[in-house]
Amino acid sequence: MPFDPSLAWDSLPRMLFGLANTVGITALTLVLGLAMAIPVTLARMSPRRIFRLPAAWFVMFFRGTPALILMYLVYYGLAQLPSIHDGPLWPIFANAFACAVIGLALNHASYLVEILRGGLEAVPAGLVEASAALGISPRQTYQWVRLPLAMRYALKAYQNEVIGFTKGTAVVGVITVVDLTATANEVFERTYDPVTPMLTAAVLYWCLINLMRIGFEFADRRLNRHLAAEEQRRRKPVAASLQPALARWTGLAAPNTERAL
Amino acid sequence: MSGTAPLPAIMIAGLDKFYGGFHALKHIDLEVRRGEKIVVCGPSGSGKSTLIRCINRLEPHDSGRIVVNGIDVNDASSNIQDVRREVGMVFQSFNLFPHLTILENCMLAPRLALGMKKAEAERLAQRFLDRVHIGEQAAKFPAQLSGGQQQRVAIARALCMEPRIMLFDEPTSSLDPEMIKEVLEVMEELADDGMTMICVTHEMGFARRVASRCVFMDQGEIVEIAEAAAFFEAPRSDRLRAFLSQILH
Ligand SMILES: Nc1ncnc2c1ncn2[C@@H]1O[C@H](COP(=O)(O)OP(=O)(O)OP(=O)(O)O)[C@@H](O)[C@H]1O
Ligand SMILES: [Mg+2]
Repeated sequence: MPFDPSLAWDSLPRMLFGLANTVGITALTLVLGLAMAIPVTLARMSPRRIFRLPAAWFVMFFRGTPALILMYLVYYGLAQLPSIHDGPLWPIFANAFACAVIGLALNHASYLVEILRGGLEAVPAGLVEASAALGISPRQTYQWVRLPLAMRYALKAYQNEVIGFTKGTAVVGVITVVDLTATANEVFERTYDPVTPMLTAAVLYWCLINLMRIGFEFADRRLNRHLAAEEQRRRKPVAASLQPALARWTGLAAPNTERAL
Repeated sequence: MSGTAPLPAIMIAGLDKFYGGFHALKHIDLEVRRGEKIVVCGPSGSGKSTLIRCINRLEPHDSGRIVVNGIDVNDASSNIQDVRREVGMVFQSFNLFPHLTILENCMLAPRLALGMKKAEAERLAQRFLDRVHIGEQAAKFPAQLSGGQQQRVAIARALCMEPRIMLFDEPTSSLDPEMIKEVLEVMEELADDGMTMICVTHEMGFARRVASRCVFMDQGEIVEIAEAAAFFEAPRSDRLRAFLSQILH
């Protein structure tokens, strides 16, 4: 099973097109997922049951359903409903790319709700009280104390989720979207070379994922300056030289066992 | 109180507070005059924190009245904001905002609650940080400071709102012994400047030097109020005698 460099080179433009689709789906899912997750998180944490319960159901349902099934349901299932098929939104639901994004975003949002909630709940009550005691209004306390801290607490979990679902976008091929995996599969079916296209795709995925990881690490360093500064103060010289290597290792090995795809 | 007497800084009358079925504060009466320094002590669970947290409405009370500088502490959110502007608070666990620098910690409330401009808030924050002798650390984050330094920043942060009353809830209880002194010194300087203070503390040396009156609480009640000398030298109630012999060994 030799790797065929000339095939890899020839198929590269198509593979890059597939990669562009993967990136597009990922980016749109991130945005749509966040847009859905924020109101659902607020509802999920509301003291009032009428908000809290539906939000809990949303999370329970979409988190417990594989993204693959969600995409099938959105793309093939909704088309069966006359109100959708004849409704104003049909151009969206007739489009495989849009349905892929919707299916993935529902799944992503349900994870994000729990990540955001975890971050918000991890903010010590004492900090919120201190802010209130200073005469800062609850709304401003939310904006300047709770949310910024919740973001910092949630960043690692968010990174794991985002990188997990990026790799998970490989399932969109089943509803005819030609992403990176689907492109590699096409090349394989055309050439009967199982190694070259898949390895090429793997390298491209690897580049994408690591680019994202670098982005997250940059954000982490910026947001968590206050912790880095403390570490520097406490760290012993020997441990200091080990630290970057360790961080790199744990960053790469960030486990992603929880996702149900 | 006669008509000519000045308005008290804090007037508490018939205050009751329940946590569910638990009676945490039982009919508390206490009047604090302007400039007075009150030290509150008592065994754990006696309601000291609850009492001072009711004053700035971190806890809502169930019945009775609390009036702070003429403002009724009640449900009205405008009253709550007004009261919190009059009253600064320092906590046992410092509660500095970890994601902000020392300077930003002190600037946040003036900027958000008073709408102060950035440059002006910076000057104000620097002034109070200098006052608690920590001005040169302004650019650091809280986690880079020792406990005693953090608590002094917390005091400066409260002072930046220029409150007329300061509440302290065991400000030195989570500090290593060698850092307690630097915090108490700052509090004593504040007392010398005429600040009205209520301090929950078991630092009896501080109480003797600073307190105008000492309050002893037990099981949600104020058992005894006396001037510092009488409080320590001639306690009237058995409960206070027992408590003092315990903490003074
Ligand atoms: N949020 C709460 N819910 C229920 N009970 C509470 C709550 N806060 C305090 N209590 C109870 O009220 C009583 C008084 O508590 P408080 O914290 O005022 O005591 P304290 O005198 O400050 O004690 P310590 O010296 O330990 O700080 C305690 O019995 C405590 O268990
Ligand atoms: Mg207490």
